[in-house]
Amino acid sequence: MKEYQLGEFEEIVLLTVAILHEDAYGVSIKEDIEQRLNRKVSVSALQTALRRMEKKDYLKSELGEATAIRGGKRKRYFKVTKTGKAALDYAKETRMKLWSAVPNVSYEYSKAWITTGILPRPGLPGSWHGF
Amino acid sequence: MDNNRHSPPSWSTRFLAWFLKEDYYEDIQGDLEEEYQLLIKSKGLARAKRWYSWQIIKLFKPEMAKKIEAQNSIEKETTMFKNYFKIGLRNLWKYKSSTVINIIGLATGLAAFVLIALFVKDELSYDRHHEHAKNIYRVTVKNYTTQGELSRHWAFASAGHANRLKDDYSEITHATRFYPWAFPDISYKEQEFLGEQVIFCDPDAFDIFSFEFIAGSAETAFPDVYSLVLTRSTAVKIFGTDWEEKGVIGETVTLARDGNEAPFKVTGVMEDMPEQQHFHFEYLAPIRFVEMIMGEDVANNVGGNYNWLTYIRTASGANVPELTESANKEFWDKYIGEFQPGVYARDYYDFVFQPLLDIHLTSNLEGEFETNGSIDQVYIFSVIGILLLLVACVNYMNIATSHYSRRMKEVGVRKVIGAFKSSLIKQFLSESLLVVIISLPIAVMLILWALPYLNEFMDKKLAFNPLVQTDILVGLILLLMLVGGLAGIYPALFLSKINLVQALKGEQSMNAGKWNFRSFLVTFQYIVTIGLIFSIGVIESQMGFIRNTDAGFDREQMLSLSLPRGNYNPETFRNELLKDPKIEKASYSSRIPTGRLADSWGSRFFKGDSAVSTDFRLPVVTIDKHFLDAYGIEILAGENFREGMETVLQQDTTSVGYYIINDAAVKALGFDDPAEIVGKKMGYGPSEGRIVGVMEDFHFESLHSPIVPMVFIYMDRYRRISLKLSADGMQETLSRIENVYAQFDPDTEANYRFVDDLFNEQYQNEERLSTMIKVFAVIAILIGCLGLIGMVGFIIETKLKEIGVRKVLGASTASIWMIISNRFMVLIGIAFLIGLPAAYWFMNDWLDTFVYRTSISIFLILMPVFAVILLTVGAISYQTFRATRVNPVECLKDE
Repeated sequence: MKEYQLGEFEEIVLLTVAILHEDAYGVSIKEDIEQRLNRKVSVSALQTALRRMEKKDYLKSELGEATAIRGGKRKRYFKVTKTGKAALDYAKETRMKLWSAVPNVSYEYSKAWITTGILPRPGLPGSWHGF
Repeated sequence: MDNNRHSPPSWSTRFLAWFLKEDYYEDIQGDLEEEYQLLIKSKGLARAKRWYSWQIIKLFKPEMAKKIEAQNSIEKETTMFKNYFKIGLRNLWKYKSSTVINIIGLATGLAAFVLIALFVKDELSYDRHHEHAKNIYRVTVKNYTTQGELSRHWAFASAGHANRLKDDYSEITHATRFYPWAFPDISYKEQEFLGEQVIFCDPDAFDIFSFEFIAGSAETAFPDVYSLVLTRSTAVKIFGTDWEEKGVIGETVTLARDGNEAPFKVTGVMEDMPEQQHFHFEYLAPIRFVEMIMGEDVANNVGGNYNWLTYIRTASGANVPELTESANKEFWDKYIGEFQPGVYARDYYDFVFQPLLDIHLTSNLEGEFETNGSIDQVYIFSVIGILLLLVACVNYMNIATSHYSRRMKEVGVRKVIGAFKSSLIKQFLSESLLVVIISLPIAVMLILWALPYLNEFMDKKLAFNPLVQTDILVGLILLLMLVGGLAGIYPALFLSKINLVQALKGEQSMNAGKWNFRSFLVTFQYIVTIGLIFSIGVIESQMGFIRNTDAGFDREQMLSLSLPRGNYNPETFRNELLKDPKIEKASYSSRIPTGRLADSWGSRFFKGDSAVSTDFRLPVVTIDKHFLDAYGIEILAGENFREGMETVLQQDTTSVGYYIINDAAVKALGFDDPAEIVGKKMGYGPSEGRIVGVMEDFHFESLHSPIVPMVFIYMDRYRRISLKLSADGMQETLSRIENVYAQFDPDTEANYRFVDDLFNEQYQNEERLSTMIKVFAVIAILIGCLGLIGMVGFIIETKLKEIGVRKVLGASTASIWMIISNRFMVLIGIAFLIGLPAAYWFMNDWLDTFVYRTSISIFLILMPVFAVILLTVGAISYQTFRATRVNPVECLKDE
């Protein structure tokens, strides 16, 4: 079987593109990730991931309409390709396999957390923005 | 909305546009701007701006950035360069004759340039090693005539100047004199060294100049009057090579002169003074000692007796022009005042403070301690050096492009395979670099071979060892890159431009008929060649003019001999010499022709009974009654000195004078006929008497200066004796003269020079200059010729088909020859119009440094053109002959 490699961030981006369906371009993808996951995304990181996956053929893109707020520049819409879909499936599958392999004792630590009262927060520690 | 729209920081956007891949730019910039506009609303302008720029900076990473031109990895690049070098080497090997021409041209050009650069660098580095060099000035004195005209500008000052200037002006922090004229005998144990040039100086000398001490120190150099500082070589000379182990500090040596002796303690040893310094001293001793011997009067003299080389150091930031002005305003009034009522000393003297760094290249004053260099020479050599390098580069360009047809197919194939223009340029540039790199070892060998000759000829100690001298190594590498680039860039552009279709078709008529850059190159070479040939012609004709000018006195087989020291009757010495049948004539004098007219007194001329001071300087030479006869100088009117016509010139002693003046003095006194002035009354210094004779004008000084009025008097102030020798058995005569000399003075060596040698030495600078220019010009011309031959070859190569067609149609070799040479004649014409005026202007300037100069004749102007035409015609004939011998079928069958 062909090996699909997806980084954590790449996976998020790929999923978001899939979620946004016909409306996935730079700003919308970024906003969506930031809102959903409550984490800050830099244009650089996002674009790097997008272009890398485009090169790997997980994504394809085409230029769309221009708007005034963009200073007359066109948007680039991304779509998940078949390969991209396969990669997502593969990632999910492997993840599930791993999940199912984890024995229950591994969760012991959560009790310790509860007793000390320190709860893990969603998202990355130190997220400061107010979205 | 558009009205209050804020556009994002423009420099950030520009930066983004600069680095980001083109096909990413539009949407990414759009995204950024969209979000930016949203951010302005939510977070404010300042934060939005910061965010925008910060995002762009984050985007600046390799994946996002445009690929740098050649997207290839370093590995790929080096492989390509390996390939270029390989192809380059193969081509060099294949076309051996043009390779040899190229390499010879470049190697000679490089070698000549480096030699010139070494010389120029050396000339420019004089005196710079002194820590305070920028604040050191030499005190020089100008003398004026009664008329206010400059009479002499002395390199030396008076004994009393240094200390008084230092005391009066706070800007002058240090002052020293050097007195170099003592020449005492030095003895240590049983060794004795006669007439050593011990220089006496003030203790400030060590604070002004940075002399490097090996033993002792600058601070402890002069603890008392009897101190002596040596240099390394004099320490070796006196104490032997193991002086350092012996510990010479504190050793006592004896200085003796004229029967007086004084013990001196060695207090320090300095390194030998560096070559690049405008004076070289071997011993330093306190000047107080000389003052003690000479007396306070001499030490305090402020008006004359210019024997004291004087230097001052100013506080940094001192305004020296202002200082000079106030010194000239105040000094002379303060220390001399009036000579006579109404005659102010300040009108007769001026100080000039000469910056130390200017002395070597620009100073040529009366009595320079050592012969200085000349800035003109530095300029001339720099120009020639650069021309040589350019000519060598142009030569390479000509040859490289002239063989372009050989490379056309290669270029075509490379283009088909997909070579960019840029990679072709790289290829040809690396080829030119290759040729330069190959030329370098040959150039280095040439330099090493020629350097000793250059050193001997220019009296220099230039060193060339790139392995040790890193500045030279770096310079060489830069030179390589420069020449490689300069020579290669045109062929590279030219060859990479070749049209693909033409190249593969083998079409050879590219640009052949047009005026283009190559015509410019050839014209440039013609300009340089014409200019240089013209310059050589002018220099040669001026040197010939000097050599053939009748100086007006007889200098053949004339020997000038120093006088023995001690007390003896001059007549006895003269008679002793004249006993030798090979010595025809002998005559004493204070100075001899070829020397300088440096002694003078004030003079007066009597009209009726009233004396009128002469308004010109009238220098004096003291001679005996045989002088005019010995030197073959004719008396125009009156008579020669006879017994009893001796004049005594001594301060404050009136005496009767007898004068012989030259024709120039007659004219200057307002007479036309020499006969009229004979017997007229005049006064010279403290003497008064009659003019007894008028002699013809002759060049006592060199042809650089005009014949000035002068006066001869009969008086024993002799320094030399001139001997007219027979031409045969010169060597034996000289040794007999030495024997006679030894009878009178067994301690010193007879010092003699031939007057015609002295005469020629006056033009030594010009001789050197002309020889050097000639050598380098010939090199440039030869390199140029190589290029020319290549160029003609190129033109013919491009016209091969035309020649073929013409031959088929029945053209003669001669008519084909005409077609080709016409083009060159036009170029020569242009070069003539540009090159000659430039060279004429340059050389006319040079000729102006001579008072007696040749004129630039029409021959000199036309000669270079004929030479160049001859050369071109030769090259064309040779190449045309080759071209027309080719069977037309050979060159026409291609199509």
